[in-house]
Amino acid sequence: MFPATAWFVAMLVLPLIVVFVFSFGERGPAGGYVPAFSFANFLNLGARWAAFKNTMVLAPIGTIACLFIAYPLAYFLAVRASAKWQTMLLILVIVPFWTSILIRSYAWIFLLGGKGLPNVFAALGLGHIQLINTPFAVLVGIVYGYLPLMVFPIYVSLERLDKRLLEAASDLGAPPLNTFLSVTLPLSMPGVATGCMLVFILLMGEFLIPAMLGGGKVFFVGNALVDLFVQSRNWAFGSAVAVALVLVMLVTVTAYMRFTRRWSGGRDDISLM
Amino acid sequence: MSDRNDFISRTKFMEELMRYKKGSVSRRHFLGVTGLGLATSVLGATLSRQAMAQANIGDRVVIASWPNYHDPADFESFKAATGAAVDLNVFGSNEEMLAKLQAGGTGWDVFVPTNYTITTYVELGLIEPLDMSKIPNYDANAFDPRFAGPGTVDGKIYAVSKDWGTTGMATNTANNNSKAVTSWKEFWDITQGAFSGRTTVHDYQLTTIGNALKYFGYSFNSVDPKELADAEKLLLDVKPHLFAITSDYQPAMRNGDAWLAMCWTGDGKQLNRDMPEIEYTLGKEGGEIWSDFYAVPIGAPHRDAAYALINYLLDPAINMKETLFHGQPVADARVNAMLTPERLADPILYPAAELLNALEFGAAETLTNPDRAELMARFKSA
Amino acid sequence: MAEQNDPIAELRNTSKHYGKVIAADNVSLTIQRGEFLSFLGPSGCGKTTALRMLAGFEVPTSGDVLLDGQRVNDLPPYRRPINMVFQHYALFPHLTVFDNIAYGLRQQRPRLQKAEIARAVDKALDTVRLPGYGTRRIYEMSGGQQQRVALARAIVNEPKLLLLDEPMAALDKKLRRDMQIELQTLQRQLGITFVLVTHDQEEALSMSDRICVMQGGKIVQIGSPRALYDSPNTRYVADFVGKTNFFAGVVTASGDSCQIRVVGLNHTANAPRSLVIGQTASLCLRPEQITLQRNATPADRISVPVTIAARIFLGEHTEYLVKNTDLGEFLVLVPRQAEAVEGAFEPGQAAHASWRDGVGLILGND
Repeated sequence: MFPATAWFVAMLVLPLIVVFVFSFGERGPAGGYVPAFSFANFLNLGARWAAFKNTMVLAPIGTIACLFIAYPLAYFLAVRASAKWQTMLLILVIVPFWTSILIRSYAWIFLLGGKGLPNVFAALGLGHIQLINTPFAVLVGIVYGYLPLMVFPIYVSLERLDKRLLEAASDLGAPPLNTFLSVTLPLSMPGVATGCMLVFILLMGEFLIPAMLGGGKVFFVGNALVDLFVQSRNWAFGSAVAVALVLVMLVTVTAYMRFTRRWSGGRDDISLM
Repeated sequence: MSDRNDFISRTKFMEELMRYKKGSVSRRHFLGVTGLGLATSVLGATLSRQAMAQANIGDRVVIASWPNYHDPADFESFKAATGAAVDLNVFGSNEEMLAKLQAGGTGWDVFVPTNYTITTYVELGLIEPLDMSKIPNYDANAFDPRFAGPGTVDGKIYAVSKDWGTTGMATNTANNNSKAVTSWKEFWDITQGAFSGRTTVHDYQLTTIGNALKYFGYSFNSVDPKELADAEKLLLDVKPHLFAITSDYQPAMRNGDAWLAMCWTGDGKQLNRDMPEIEYTLGKEGGEIWSDFYAVPIGAPHRDAAYALINYLLDPAINMKETLFHGQPVADARVNAMLTPERLADPILYPAAELLNALEFGAAETLTNPDRAELMARFKSA
Repeated sequence: MAEQNDPIAELRNTSKHYGKVIAADNVSLTIQRGEFLSFLGPSGCGKTTALRMLAGFEVPTSGDVLLDGQRVNDLPPYRRPINMVFQHYALFPHLTVFDNIAYGLRQQRPRLQKAEIARAVDKALDTVRLPGYGTRRIYEMSGGQQQRVALARAIVNEPKLLLLDEPMAALDKKLRRDMQIELQTLQRQLGITFVLVTHDQEEALSMSDRICVMQGGKIVQIGSPRALYDSPNTRYVADFVGKTNFFAGVVTASGDSCQIRVVGLNHTANAPRSLVIGQTASLCLRPEQITLQRNATPADRISVPVTIAARIFLGEHTEYLVKNTDLGEFLVLVPRQAEAVEGAFEPGQAAHASWRDGVGLILGND
């Protein structure tokens, strides 16, 4: 009992306490942290409103885009692919995850850059289309980077789905689409909920993808935090922004869980996380 | 990459070293073949015996520096000479380096700060006064005091000069009737006009804010609230027209996505060398001139190796290879004496006096000024 | 009992191959309207494949599936007026009992009215004796209750054929017994044609109008439970349907009065399939065709001396495992009344087992 508690305190609670305490402090003359007790940092949060707004808009859109691409992929893997292909495709989904997102983003910088897809569009007579350094490019990076996190929980829930239920639905007169909507989809909701939660929470703290594919013009709270700690060295204000982000996340996640629970009619056979 | 023809491979170097040790070649032959002898033959300076004498400095040295700023071959030859492998960490801004050192536990032995940050490091007690007896290759008389001077604080040398340069702009003239942009006024105006969506500015408060201030003719270093407010308005107006806010602009310039970039000397030289249509110019209103240094953080874990590395890199022969690699000018007259007249006449590295005179060194205050930091944050998040 | 020759479904020379494995081999069978038909056999005999071809989950490799005279090979399951009770019920875990039962009704086009669906579901719940259970969750129901829900979910659609795939495999013995009776009653009451798949001969014998015994993808015999029991075609059927003692011997006469010599004794009995003199075959005697006495029996019976090896008390009957030096071990079933006359036998005691010449069957060793 004691080691577990100590572990929790050391690994999870302590850093949060440090951030919380720092958030009431002041920036040192050359940066860093000076102890103080003031709400100035919190009152100044409006200065990062744009970052919060961007994050709160792009994180849900990114999550949903991820879901729409991941679901068919997971469905194909779990239901349609033969056993031999299944393993191979699963490995294909994981392998990019083993390399740094930094390296993978460079591939997208090339693909979305002027010599990549826009070049193809121009050749097709579509004129100059800017893709790189736009919110769209950031979304592409997000979907690409987070896809495995969405695919796996959905894949697992679809894989676990008793295939006889699909036969039962068909036997009872449901055409394939109805079977999917009334049996497959609801029973894969635990995977969908887990995947969405994972992707959304991680997206809220994302900074690398907007920096790389947004050309520094698409600014997330994560980027604001990096700048505050690494560039302007305002640890106190940075901590306040971090505390605000944690609060926003708590509220969002709680609301989301309420919503999914109501949606699933309070079933306890469907766990949400 | 003709600039790199003058050094030999690591294996070749080792072979020559072994032959020299066995006595099968003369010292002169060894130094000549490896390129280490240039210093001796041209200037008569002797190689540091300490560096070559396998003094026990450990097997490792960690340096924090900037991208495209060192010839990897020089690190290899350092390792061959001393047995210490060089571990290079690359950073994008002085602020980032300062933040790391303030947080502590960097493990750095050497780092490369810019002129205007050194007094802050000294005040915060983050760097040590250098033990000059361990850097015999540093000859104070050979260095231009304009660039080496900021390394001395209160009469003590805390940092020795690495190189210097300017912050100007690189124009892909193919997109502008073969004309380069030559003023900050034009830089910001064309960005909102013909070059909309084609310009990059640094992800770095000092230069981006400083060059916006130059649009109005204010000082590059201004922290005056009214002047900063003007600069902010300009930056916010320009933002929708920018291609990117990034300090890594070479790829975008090379593949044609960006046509105009806020640019440092070295990048300008590298771009122009490979793509002559990209021209590097200074704003005629002024802008930044800077010099970079080697410094040793307090508590460097491999202190002996740190001094050995600085001394090695300041060997004029090595320093010459470095400058040919990174494309920034150096302040060491001994090195310049070895360079070709064409190189010394290169207007990218050595701009005309009237342009150079308009430039300002960054001021220490800009590094720690919270208003400039917040302005940059508002600009980026807008 | 089903009326003769009013076919509702038919398998016509149907085969199903999975690569090199032949799951169903040229199966032909007519299912009569209103009958209760069982497919009986061990696992892998093809009975489930036959059922799945009827349901539409498997498309025959060759041959046809007919429903009401129409070829339905290519009709997907959801277009066939056939419903199935699955082996592990396959109830939808995310739906209530009501929604499970209403599932099929809600698929109907044109759409049924809500009230109409509710009425039908309630009626189905009544039929399976689960009134008022509609709002329950599936995981709140016991195994037996789930079985009834599965049944209700199928019958509420009033299918032309109700397929039952080992529906009672997961129930305990007592519950299975009750359910068997209930199913039989239900079938009569609803008049729906039932097709059951089972490996439990007792289940098949007790419920079916006709049993179709399968082996290796082929039908070996179709008939009423009594016909199968009294005159199995093959040794396989005799062995699978009820208990049988096999005494190996050599055929000494064939034709109407077939004879077999078993360890020096000549027996006369019917042979459902023609045999050749001199071939090896078996005399098959049901345990109840043999009697047990303390003393040697009258001359009109064949009698052998035995020792009692084991006794199994079954209530109405007692089953004795007895041993003869020549014939080996075999089973004798003694009714309670007979035991009352002779008294019970104890293991180790000597006795005489006897039967009337002419009973039993002579079956080739196929």
